[in-house]
Amino acid sequence: MADNSITYEDFVKFREFFYRKTGIYFEDSKRYFVDKRILERIEATNTGNFRGYFNLLRFQASGDELQHLINAMTVNETYFFREEYQFNCLVNSILPYITKTKTPGSLIRIWSIPSSSGEEPYSIAIYLTEYWTGLKDWDVEIIASDIDTNILKKAKEGRYSPRSVQYLSEGILKKYFKPLPDGDYQISDDFRQAVEFTHVNLFNLTDTKPYRHFDVIFCRNLLIYFDDQSRRQAAEVFFDALRPGGFICLGHSESMSRISSLFKVRKFPEAIVYQKPEEL
Amino acid sequence: MAIVKQRQASPISQDERRHIRDLTGLIEQLSDPNPIARRWAARDMANYPDSVSALAGQLDRETNGTVREAILTTLMLIGNTDAVSALVRCLRSEDAALRNDAIEVMKNMPDAVSMIIRDLLRDPDPDVRIFAVNILESLRHPDVQKWLIEVISNDKDINVCSTAVDLLAEVGTEDALSALEALKGRFSEEPYIAFSVDVALKRIKDNG
Repeated sequence: MADNSITYEDFVKFREFFYRKTGIYFEDSKRYFVDKRILERIEATNTGNFRGYFNLLRFQASGDELQHLINAMTVNETYFFREEYQFNCLVNSILPYITKTKTPGSLIRIWSIPSSSGEEPYSIAIYLTEYWTGLKDWDVEIIASDIDTNILKKAKEGRYSPRSVQYLSEGILKKYFKPLPDGDYQISDDFRQAVEFTHVNLFNLTDTKPYRHFDVIFCRNLLIYFDDQSRRQAAEVFFDALRPGGFICLGHSESMSRISSLFKVRKFPEAIVYQKPEEL
Repeated sequence: MAIVKQRQASPISQDERRHIRDLTGLIEQLSDPNPIARRWAARDMANYPDSVSALAGQLDRETNGTVREAILTTLMLIGNTDAVSALVRCLRSEDAALRNDAIEVMKNMPDAVSMIIRDLLRDPDPDVRIFAVNILESLRHPDVQKWLIEVISNDKDINVCSTAVDLLAEVGTEDALSALEALKGRFSEEPYIAFSVDVALKRIKDNG
């Protein structure tokens, strides 16, 4: 029988640990959310109480339970064509700028992080296919990453509720999605095969080191969950992941200028984005 | 052409760097002529708390802003007393950008900064004391108000005190009221202090 009490001291201890591992910081106001998920995991792991569970989290060699908990703690609410003005900016301003400076025939690389259940990377793929005439001349690689392994599985499946696809036109829905008997929609196999999904923890140096040479990064509505220290770390990761002259798009309420001086602000007609200088 | 998978020469499962990543190798690469190699070395040194003196030495010489930023972030992550001392040295630099960067980084190190903040607030150089107050601006620490009250109660420099008053106007509570009133008396010849204290008093009372 699980001991279902988590004291404030337990919460604080857990909060510090989780922050060090993921960069995600839970304010006191999130206590109910956090406690509920920890109690579920105590039950699922049969560890009996917080102390036993916390020991498992800290000392388990495989790190499997930490990953379970990360999956439970992360927020994955999103939908297709969210903040569409940035996709407009991608096809009308960013990509035309990038293709001017790249060798014809070379690869354009886009990183979507966090990918959540795939709505953002698939939106990028749809947008390029529908609205970017340059796609006939250039190859584009879309890498989509998330810290949550369950959500990555879901993203690869590509099944979405009517709510997720509510902002797509009838035409796009018909063209790229298959209606399923239960009322959901599944994105076409072509897109599912075209987008590469990977597991990444932004705060694990070993995880992020191989991520290089991106032309564009979409990192929207993630930094709002981080404190200033973690945001600064994330900015370093993105800077090294971009090619010189590459761009990063943040959520509408986020600003790189308040985090780091590494990037230049670029005002395009459709959106404000951030650019890695051409020369270091 | 199309949306494609894995045409990249170096797949994302590989770390493409070729240099040795132990501390000796990293210290060597911190002086590499290529700023990209220096940045990567600085970032990887976050795994080595003993690397602070090498990082601090490079910070003095470093002319590339992106490498400097990586060094500062690594000092923040290491976060021990040596790292804080290295950042404190930056506060005395003639380079305003470096000073500001160091202040921003120190705002993110509440525990480490709390160990040395009183020394900084009593530094003989009033500019350093002002920078210390600037650090308190966003430092997530329960004693911020207490330190600010100490400043306005004891510091003899009007600029240091007025910087602290401006911050108290934002973060102060009723506990700061009497010290603010007393400050007006200490600088009774200075109308600016009277003005800024009155603003702070009003804001604190309105928020209370």
